[in-house]
Amino acid sequence: MTGFATRLGFALALMFAAITGAPAQTMTRFPAITTQVDTLSIHAATDLYALEPLIRDFQQLSPGTMVEIVEYVTNDLFSTAGGACDDGGALGDVFLSSSVDQLVKLANDGCAQRIEGADLARAPRWANWRDEVFGFTFEPIVMVYNRDGMSEAEVPRTHLELAELLRRDADRYRGRVGTYDVRLSGIGYLLAFNDARQTTTTYGRLLESLGRAQVVVRCCTSQILDEVAAGRLLIGYNLLGSYAYERVRRGQPIGIVMPADYTLVLSRGAMVPIRAPNPGLATRFVNYLLSERGQSVGRSQSFFFGLDGSAPAGIEGPDVVTSGIARPIVVGPTLLAVQDAARRKRFLEDWSQSVIQTAP
Amino acid sequence: MRILLVEDTKDVGEAIVGRLSRIGHAVDWELDGTAGMEVLGATSYDLVILDVMLPGMDGFSILSRLRARGSTTPVLILTARSRVEDRVDALDIGADDYLVKPFDFRELEARVRALMRRNSGEATNVLRCGDISIDRLTRMVRVGDCEVHLKRRELTLLEILSSRPGRVFGKDELLDRMFGHDEAPAPNAVELYIGRLRRKIDGARAQIVTVRGFGYQMVIDGPA
Amino acid sequence: MDRREPSLFIRLFALMSLVLAFGAAVLMTAAWYSARQAADQAYDRLLLGAAYQIADAIQIQDGQPEIELPVSAFELLALSDRDRIFYRVLDPAGHTMTGYERLDDPAAETATPVRAIVENAEFDGENVRVARVVRRFDDPQMRGDAIVIVAQTIEARRALARELTLRSFILVGAMGAIAIGGTIFAVRRALAPIGRLETAIRQRDPLDLTLVDVSTPRELAPFVAEINGFIKRLRGRVELMQQFIADAAHQLRTPLAALEAQTDLLSNDDVSPSTVKHLDRVRARTRQLSRLTNQLLSHAMVAHRERAVANSQVDLTELTRRALDEAIPDTLERDILVTLHAPPEPLIVSGDPVNLAEAVKNILDNAVRHGAPARITVRLLKKSNRAVIEVEDDGPGIPPEQWPRVVQRFGAPSSDGKGSGLGLSIAAEVLEAHGGALFFIEKGSFGFVVVMSLADEERKVA
Repeated sequence: MTGFATRLGFALALMFAAITGAPAQTMTRFPAITTQVDTLSIHAATDLYALEPLIRDFQQLSPGTMVEIVEYVTNDLFSTAGGACDDGGALGDVFLSSSVDQLVKLANDGCAQRIEGADLARAPRWANWRDEVFGFTFEPIVMVYNRDGMSEAEVPRTHLELAELLRRDADRYRGRVGTYDVRLSGIGYLLAFNDARQTTTTYGRLLESLGRAQVVVRCCTSQILDEVAAGRLLIGYNLLGSYAYERVRRGQPIGIVMPADYTLVLSRGAMVPIRAPNPGLATRFVNYLLSERGQSVGRSQSFFFGLDGSAPAGIEGPDVVTSGIARPIVVGPTLLAVQDAARRKRFLEDWSQSVIQTAP
Repeated sequence: MRILLVEDTKDVGEAIVGRLSRIGHAVDWELDGTAGMEVLGATSYDLVILDVMLPGMDGFSILSRLRARGSTTPVLILTARSRVEDRVDALDIGADDYLVKPFDFRELEARVRALMRRNSGEATNVLRCGDISIDRLTRMVRVGDCEVHLKRRELTLLEILSSRPGRVFGKDELLDRMFGHDEAPAPNAVELYIGRLRRKIDGARAQIVTVRGFGYQMVIDGPA
Repeated sequence: MDRREPSLFIRLFALMSLVLAFGAAVLMTAAWYSARQAADQAYDRLLLGAAYQIADAIQIQDGQPEIELPVSAFELLALSDRDRIFYRVLDPAGHTMTGYERLDDPAAETATPVRAIVENAEFDGENVRVARVVRRFDDPQMRGDAIVIVAQTIEARRALARELTLRSFILVGAMGAIAIGGTIFAVRRALAPIGRLETAIRQRDPLDLTLVDVSTPRELAPFVAEINGFIKRLRGRVELMQQFIADAAHQLRTPLAALEAQTDLLSNDDVSPSTVKHLDRVRARTRQLSRLTNQLLSHAMVAHRERAVANSQVDLTELTRRALDEAIPDTLERDILVTLHAPPEPLIVSGDPVNLAEAVKNILDNAVRHGAPARITVRLLKKSNRAVIEVEDDGPGIPPEQWPRVVQRFGAPSSDGKGSGLGLSIAAEVLEAHGGALFFIEKGSFGFVVVMSLADEERKVA
């Protein structure tokens, strides 16, 4: 992935740590195709490989635009953006984050600006809050497994099956199941929170099984996927389907399962911050993301699922939309509960207690 | 001839009776409308002269009753009324002639004569002779396209001559029929009226021809 | 009086519209106000409900207040899906447990603890609705009131209020339209009798003296009664005048007839030659008196009928024929050739047959008396929508300088004692009343011509 950036000739490591205490971010620049007219600054908690096709296609439409992308993990983006909003500073033109709860929280705090455009109406109702936060992808949350290490028959099809499997065969899976570190990853927290809301008992059992299996926690989907592909991990839980599918496309020995009891669906969020230097350009970009063209590029090269829920070939499990198991994470004020500081603290405490501290 | 006069003004009645008696008529005079009506029921007259404003029953009422009974006796209406109200014309309810008071007594006499004669007249009202047509009822004489106004005696003469075109009428006969026995016309009266008549029907396709030493005849011109 | 008043319809319509517009404005204001109230009520319940749910989620654990914010509270608030939500939970000690520190307690300054408050406030530069609920803890470890403050922006409320208001506006508008339509209908119906009365009065012949018989509502009855009262008085006058003329005619003519009768009885044979001369004078003056009386009565009648008798269809040919018969006495010594030239079809005019006959008679009488040694020719013509009666005689005629005078009353020369001078003026007056005219031609085909010109029927209708 970083190969893209080097080939583009620009890879910058910016050290904000000295100023904000936040970890390092990577900035990548996509020069304008023609003479540069303006700059679109995107602050993203999204893998660059997924973004690049969209950026390049957008530049075809807007050739005078130089696009710079600053990459974060979700929590860092949230804290940096929140800080900038509170201080009255400006931070980029567009925020892209899979952790939509954080974007909703930012919007609720008045850090987003309302945008308009014909293409915005294409966002489903559940993926648009106040015309400020837009979900522009449809990403089922999946389990992955290493096809070499597990037979298809062994693979769990539901959350409960996963819990049962880990409990039944604890020795085999000890240290070989990976998931997000919800303390580090906003998206991991959001997914875990929603798991907890779906079925309390199943979630409790799963948490317990994960803890006993000494689950490996990572900051990011890609790390877990790397390890599953490499065979160090047998199962990856609660991963973004789009990233996983990208691995499958690349021929890695990864199987993807959409849980049959329920499948969370995340819509990656886009937002234009209140003090964006180029709000017009930012609006155009968000419109592009939701436009027919942007969606088509996203479906073929970045996220693979359509906003309507259409899945690419090779995904195991029922069709989430027609079977009614899809549980979209609604982009809306309900997510504020997720972002409540006290609640988060408690949740993380519980989670850590179950998952980390039980580990030997 | 027998005449009934219904007139409440004595001075007028007296004069009418006097004048008509002088020319040989027997005149009964009633002063009251009701009495007049009664008399008319009992006796038949050759002519009735009615005043309009009468005590008892007015002239118009008497006239309409008379006509309602089917009587064809000639009626002459005398009226002092102005036609200030929108009343029907005396002629329209069956009067044969009318005079507005005050009137010239010679005029009265002339009209009475004409009415008396007409009663003994012919069945048809319209007499044709060449392009002359004579309407006895309205006394309208038409010569070609043009109407000619004739005095009553002229009309009588024309009627006599036109009734038998071609026939020669002797002067005495004409005198007789125009004036009756009671009048004393001037000796040249016939020549006078023939002259006047000729002038008035001048241009007609019929003319009065003098048959010297004998009399006059009406000659219709050829169909040319 | 001259100022043109707007029509009753416009007045009523304008007034009703004004009332309706005012009513609509009041209703709309009320609708707007109540819509806002309704919207606030609806959303206040959600707000309070959420606040109570949050308050219920406060727990005391190990002597410490704990809060696990219930998602359901946010789901409740998310029903107004575009509104921002701010909240703050304070423990009994007054420390913020979670939420927005900047969110002020709306009851902070109130001394008495209130159980629940919902009110308008401002937060972060936005208008918000704030709910505050209190949860009392009587735990041995923890005493006091925990406070939950939940604020929500008011977009959904405004939207609902707008929608409710809009619906009310549509209703009020529809009602207004119906009311306007009803007003138009009702006013038209109510004013219809005025229209009927107007039509009835306008369509009357001005000389029609029958009473107005139109059924009218009570309010209009006085007008109709007044009009009818006027018609009755007028009719009384007309009848009086008619009676007077009729009486005058009878009263004057009867003695004149008697006078003529009596002079007629006087035979010239019975008196001396000198008396004959006087007698002739008496006869002549009697005749002159009769004629003058006739003309005066004729004039009075003509003048009266002009104002009192409605027009009818008159055949001028027949009328002229009868007039000839009356105007030319059989006793006339002169031998005058009188001819009448008329078109074959009837010549119809609209007018008073009696007056027109009077006019024609007077013209003929004038011709017989003052002109015409030998010829009078009467021609009836139709000249470009005019009906024309020409009376031509071979007499001396009237010199042009006297023309204007002879059509005035007593304007004709009468020094010779023969003319009364009324004849031509009567004719002129009648013609004028009929929209016609009387004029003269000095030299016609053989003599002096008096022309009577009348509008004929077709023209009148047009």
